[in-house]
Amino acid sequence: MIKVENVDKYFGKLHVLKNVDFHVDPGEVVCVIGPSGSGKSTLLRCLNHLERITNGKIYIGGELVDYRENDRDKMVIEHEKVVAMCGELGMVFQRFNLFPHKTAVENLMLAPMTVKKIDKATAREKAMDLLKMVGLSDKADEYPVRLSGGQQQRVAIARALAMEPKIMLFDEPTSALDPELVGEVLAVMKKLALSGMTMMVVTHEMGFAREVASRVVFMDEGVILEEAPPNEFFGNPKNERLKSFLKKMI
Amino acid sequence: MNINQIKMFASGTLTTLELTLVSMFIGTMLGLVLALGRISKIKAINRIVWTYVWFFRGTPLLLQIMIVYYGVPLILKDIFGRATALPMFIAGCLALILNTGAYLAEIFRAGIESIDKGQMEAAKALGMSYRQAMFKVIIPQTIKRLIPPYSNEFTMILKDSSLVSVIGLTELARQANQLANGTGNWVFLFYAAGVYLFLTTISTVIFNKLEKRYSVYL
Repeated sequence: MIKVENVDKYFGKLHVLKNVDFHVDPGEVVCVIGPSGSGKSTLLRCLNHLERITNGKIYIGGELVDYRENDRDKMVIEHEKVVAMCGELGMVFQRFNLFPHKTAVENLMLAPMTVKKIDKATAREKAMDLLKMVGLSDKADEYPVRLSGGQQQRVAIARALAMEPKIMLFDEPTSALDPELVGEVLAVMKKLALSGMTMMVVTHEMGFAREVASRVVFMDEGVILEEAPPNEFFGNPKNERLKSFLKKMI
Repeated sequence: MNINQIKMFASGTLTTLELTLVSMFIGTMLGLVLALGRISKIKAINRIVWTYVWFFRGTPLLLQIMIVYYGVPLILKDIFGRATALPMFIAGCLALILNTGAYLAEIFRAGIESIDKGQMEAAKALGMSYRQAMFKVIIPQTIKRLIPPYSNEFTMILKDSSLVSVIGLTELARQANQLANGTGNWVFLFYAAGVYLFLTTISTVIFNKLEKRYSVYL
């Protein structure tokens, strides 16, 4: 569903992703863990063009959506295709990034109405369903500032789902939350995973990775060092750096 | 004040109001276009807008009014061999528009740049184009922050519209001065001051109300 081939990413001189090969199959929940600065968020952000790769190819749903060499496009992607691709990928950010001038339900309605030109009544109906799914029907008409961090992140998940993506990307979705609010967000994510959604989750939540992931990936200094199903990953890690990382985390 | 003088005063006040409202309305649109040009990634557009703002903020408004009214016909004459002067009111408005456009461009640019980068990213991740993100997500959020500096600029233009009297346009200040000179009664100047104070107070009150209304989500 997602395929990343020989991807390099430089920020100026800094080599953030080093010849990364990576894939996510339909229905998989892939958790990416690793120390900060290891490139895991960058990898995620490259998938939907929030960052552009320096070298390599990215396929989404079998379609080549990015192919660059030395910072130059090797193929021209029309705007429609990028939009269509972004429609396949939903993204949840560490700091929620809800639109503060819109109420919760309006946050969910904006993109479907603007991008897909869906009429207001239909968009609202759909939005209310999604808010119900994340357990926030009663907060539909509140502005984000009146919601707790956990509630904001649940709205943000619902907002991404409103575009009916085939894959959900999570960029450290619980890192900005107070500890007691982490659980409610993870519960929604788990529900989503159980419904069969394809997910890629950059996280520090080892418990979530162990319980929900179908595969766990360890990244350090721009390189994927180990990937395995959670039992094997946590029970019998092979890479030395992963072993010391896990020791520090638990 | 006799009835005739009151009429003259009223017509001067009306001209001042027209100058201010027309200039601010068109100037706002100009300012928005310039601000978008200023944050554009295209270097040439950026440079042009920078030069424009540099010129109109760096020279006196009084001089700009003279240039538009007296200077432009001369330039047109050199190019087309025929001098066509702009009507006084149009020339006055044009100068005020060009000037306030430059100031508003900087105000709008600062407003847009003050919005968290995550907002643009979230909009893009949801499939919105740059334009959709700008007009649906970024610019609406700047409105509340822009009201105080915008209100300030409005007041400035309301007062500085008196500078167009230099090209002979009879707005409030010039009208008051003429009445004072004609009658030898200087109290007309204080009446004019009173009208300006009245207008600036009203505009401040309105903008304060607007600011409150836009505070719901912050």
